[in-house]
Amino acid sequence: MDIVSTGRGRMAVLSASGRLNMVAAPQLKKAVDEAVAGGHPRIVVDLSAVDFIDSSGLGALIGGLKSARQASGDLRISGAGEQVRTVLGLTNLDRILKPYADIEEASHGW
Amino acid sequence: MAGDYVLDGFAVPDELDKLHALLTRAGEEHPDVSASDLMLFETAVTEVANNVIEHGVPTGGVHWTFTLDVDPGELQAVLRENGQAFTGDLHGAMPDDPLSESGRGLPLADTVLDELEYVRDGSDNVWRMVRRRTGGE
Repeated sequence: MDIVSTGRGRMAVLSASGRLNMVAAPQLKKAVDEAVAGGHPRIVVDLSAVDFIDSSGLGALIGGLKSARQASGDLRISGAGEQVRTVLGLTNLDRILKPYADIEEASHGW
Repeated sequence: MAGDYVLDGFAVPDELDKLHALLTRAGEEHPDVSASDLMLFETAVTEVANNVIEHGVPTGGVHWTFTLDVDPGELQAVLRENGQAFTGDLHGAMPDDPLSESGRGLPLADTVLDELEYVRDGSDNVWRMVRRRTGGE
């Protein structure tokens, strides 16, 4: 998995690609923690190039959400494809990780 | 039985790519299998494999054989591995805490499969996964 981080003021966009699985999950959590530590606690994780997520990937998103909130920020997701949306729904995580259509929608108000 | 697919190796994270590749190939060779069924089955298989990788002892030394059959009515996979016996809850619920970072793997697999079975066979664990085909998109 590749993760590209782009800072915009207090916000950071993390663009992930590939499979967000048990191999990639620690990379994503590390990228979120680095963005938060770098003064960007408002995180958008763009999943438009992620074609598969597993429970490890979900765990990394939840961990990142908690890290961001502890720094008075938040974590939102954008561009989730069918498999990601399905898994979010099956695990009821779409209630706390609402899938936004794109980065602009996810960062609205930030 | 329309087709057999076999993967043999060690239960380590890097092997997951081979598992995905095998399921992708099965889908390409069976275009009559709906994308939705294949996607959900792949999700479940990955979670069961994750569980073996994470909890199998000795870590990195568990050998597994994965077999996939694409039948007219169902997708069936068997994962046989030689780790220690599984003592967890095969049909457990999702975590009560929505902010829990773990504990969703097997419940997710159980949700999308019609059958999820585990048996201890001698010194092996045998995980059987079945999803009946829906014929959707």
